[in-house]
Amino acid sequence: MSYKCSRCKRDVELDEYGGVRCPYCGHRVLLKERAPDVKEVSVN
Amino acid sequence: MELRVIDKTDEELRIEIAGEDHTFMNVLKGQLLNTDGVAAATYDMNPEQSGGQTEPILSVKTEDGLDPLDALGEAATGISDNLADLYDRIEAAFDDAAAEA
Amino acid sequence: MADDFDVEVVTRDDRSARLLVRGLTPAVANGLRRTMLSEVPTFSIDTVRFVENSSVMFDEMVGLRLGLVPLTTPLDDYEVGESATLALDVEGPATAYSGDIETSDDLVQPADENVPIIELKEGQRLEFEADAVLDTGKEHAKHQGGVAVGYRHLQRVTVVGDADEFDEEEPNILRGVIETEDGELVHTEEFDADLTNRHPGKELEIEDVPSAFVFHIESDGSLSVDELTLRAVQSLRDRADELAEKVAV
Repeated sequence: MSYKCSRCKRDVELDEYGGVRCPYCGHRVLLKERAPDVKEVSVN
Repeated sequence: MELRVIDKTDEELRIEIAGEDHTFMNVLKGQLLNTDGVAAATYDMNPEQSGGQTEPILSVKTEDGLDPLDALGEAATGISDNLADLYDRIEAAFDDAAAEA
Repeated sequence: MADDFDVEVVTRDDRSARLLVRGLTPAVANGLRRTMLSEVPTFSIDTVRFVENSSVMFDEMVGLRLGLVPLTTPLDDYEVGESATLALDVEGPATAYSGDIETSDDLVQPADENVPIIELKEGQRLEFEADAVLDTGKEHAKHQGGVAVGYRHLQRVTVVGDADEFDEEEPNILRGVIETEDGELVHTEEFDADLTNRHPGKELEIEDVPSAFVFHIESDGSLSVDELTLRAVQSLRDRADELAEKVAV
């Protein structure tokens, strides 16, 4: 899962052991980025 | 437009006209009422409070030995002829207006 | 409906017209109005593939706004259900307008270029590819070509004499198009919709002219007023033809 640290703005990969914490600065608030896929929306 | 005859006698007809709404049914009813030999014409958009039936049902009653299906055909042709005339008139009116401008 | 028709264009401009039609039954007048609204197909964006949307609105909200942008519709070249492809790529700070939309077919274009889609701030970007589908207003209101289509009876105004001198002059408000005694067609807006401006101190008689209807037709730009009207007549006629054909079998 790819996140972005809200303090140091670096991309963070989380695994199931590390807990929710930025490995670079230790900040605990991580933001989920929009997936890069093309998203199809139907208008109705 | 799918037609399904529900009841038909020599002078009465009930027919389902699937896929149409007030737009066409009301014009058709109006034309039928102006057709000679048609005693009564009406349509129901929501028959039996719509117990599954949602398509309009047209009812025609004729007199003087006119077959109701013929009356229907005559009315449809009548509408078409009228609208063909109307089309030309409107087209001409727009052309005139464009020429004046 | 057997009477002969007589059609006259009262006023007309780019996107709207007033059309006087004599010899019409109320049923046909209404059928025509309803057809213009719900049966004449126009293009409208139906599916959007978002490549990037870092704007403040959700994809669905932007999609909804896109659906409402009127697109010019070449009805001779497309059938109902067919589609054309559009695309947009705008990077902030800027406002994405309908005019920024690129199209695969030059004949399918935003009818107006100044419809704001969304305001983008620094670093925000909107990029998508979209399919516009040709369909009718019955399917979805975004496909309606006619906006504010309606009709009124033509009204005849006759001066029958002088009003009582000591009567208090009260406004006599009338909307729509009137026919004067010498057959002139005047929209009441021209005299502020108040008959006392046009005929001060006169006693008037106002009556509906039988089977004469004044249509007000306004298009959203997808089709010209002429085409919208004529296509509506044709669409109604096609259905009558279809019925005649099926009954004959």
